[in-house]
Amino acid sequence: MAAEIDSSITQPRGRAPAFGLRLSASYLMIPMLAFLAYFFFYPALRLLFSSIQTQNSQGIVGPPYTLEHYTRLLNVDLYARVFWNTLRMSVITSLIATILAYPVAIVMVKSRPMVTRIITLIVIAPLIVSVVVRGYGWQLILTNGPKGLLNWLLMSLGIVDAPLSILYTEAAVIIGSLHVFYPMMVLPLASALGKIDPNLEDAARMLGAPWWKVFLRVTLPLSLPGFVAGFTIVFSLTAGSFVIPAILGGASAIMLGNLIEQQIFVVYDWPFGAAIALILVAVVFAVNGFSMWLLEGRRLRRPA
Amino acid sequence: MDERFSGPGAWILYAITIAMMIFILSPLLLVMAVSVSDSYFVTFPPEGFTLKWYAKVLQDRDFIDAMQLSILLALGATIGSLLLGVPAAFALVRGDFFGAAAITGFLLSPLIFPALVTGLALLQVLSRLGSEDARLNLLIGHIVVTAPYVIRTVLSSLLLVDENLEDAARTLGASRMRTFWRVTLPQIASGVAAGGLFAFMVSFDNYPISMWLANSEYSPVPLVLMRQLVNVFDPSVPAMSTIIILFAMAGVLVLERLVGLRRALTV
Repeated sequence: MAAEIDSSITQPRGRAPAFGLRLSASYLMIPMLAFLAYFFFYPALRLLFSSIQTQNSQGIVGPPYTLEHYTRLLNVDLYARVFWNTLRMSVITSLIATILAYPVAIVMVKSRPMVTRIITLIVIAPLIVSVVVRGYGWQLILTNGPKGLLNWLLMSLGIVDAPLSILYTEAAVIIGSLHVFYPMMVLPLASALGKIDPNLEDAARMLGAPWWKVFLRVTLPLSLPGFVAGFTIVFSLTAGSFVIPAILGGASAIMLGNLIEQQIFVVYDWPFGAAIALILVAVVFAVNGFSMWLLEGRRLRRPA
Repeated sequence: MDERFSGPGAWILYAITIAMMIFILSPLLLVMAVSVSDSYFVTFPPEGFTLKWYAKVLQDRDFIDAMQLSILLALGATIGSLLLGVPAAFALVRGDFFGAAAITGFLLSPLIFPALVTGLALLQVLSRLGSEDARLNLLIGHIVVTAPYVIRTVLSSLLLVDENLEDAARTLGASRMRTFWRVTLPQIASGVAAGGLFAFMVSFDNYPISMWLANSEYSPVPLVLMRQLVNVFDPSVPAMSTIIILFAMAGVLVLERLVGLRRALTV
């Protein structure tokens, strides 16, 4: 017994007994890998496969192989418009989110812990409320005609004479998406800002730079990794949304997600629905890949 | 206030911050206010006070069924993702195999993949398999998107565990299982709990997976709410929404107590 204990103590770490532990720990990965391989990876490949096939009149998907569904999205004006609208609304949402996230993230980083805690709670709490509920809230605010909250407020205050029509426009979708995805911009930005050495900003200020110049020349460049991360998440989530455009966009501001749903549930055109889905995936992957290239290649100066 | 953080710039920042807090809270507070308003149609300013819409919701068979389904589904997805995700995260940190970074990337990829497409792809495969039970299909689909959250939170708390303590337990003769239960698990408990709670909330709110896999008999809460909202005019929608908001707030407070919100979300 004593000899046994002795030998295990003198074993250098990471050798024989530890090797057994390591090997068996690796096996614990198998159920998760198998599950995702079968219910995520394989379905994604199948979808890719059906997007290059043809659907016959009985609704059966099979050969001949074609890229026609991909070209249809970009060549048919109706569909192409949805594609470009989705990209535009996603870019605008991400840009506005960035502009509005910087002040809040800076306040979060620089304030007393109590203030930071309250702001964090308010920023994050809605994230956990169903998107349907948040969309509904915005529908109540933006309702066209004098019954909407915004119109009622603006008219009672005498700012406008006639009710505005915002609901069922792209602006409504952008406002709703901004509300839903704003936290995803604030959080990475706050964590990047938190890593900046405050001495750098102090030094700039002591050397006589006004506050806006300190921001532009010191804070902004050092926070770019957080901005890139936040922009990527907000863009990807907005581009893939369904609920917000369905509630706030109506028929005039639909996005790729709504188009996919129509093709599958209304038109029953599986290959075309699959092709639109994969174009959405390609867009999201391209943006994610570009941002990883920016971040990992240290093409941005990271805070130390 | 931090002395470095003052002057005209700071006041502009505070003003914008307060405006954004109002922007974030207003739709939720509005829904809650309207839910106790006594008029059939939503009007401003709201009129009267009533709890009749809550009484109506609590007798609404569709809503109760949906609530039950959603809670069971979220519990199932939580248990499933803990059972699959915790061992996987442990293997990633303690295991010794080739391409761990690539495998981590693969395991977390459902987080960047548009969920709408994940659900569509799964629908195609499940219907090809002839899997007709909507509840089972929903459970599978939800685990695909909730398990990565568990892996991510557990992974980050495992990285903080002192491996020497595990070695010490093993040296003193504890089995691998016992070492995990008595030494490792207590150290990562808050990460596991946060991951589980996160999985529950993500599943409870999920729309883009459920929209493909639910059917008319088995629809989770967000789908039922969306149907009431878009297709029929139902004055009890604000009350339903308020119940969902309060449910979510309870979850947020527990999560904040457990690990702190920033950590739960950004790691």
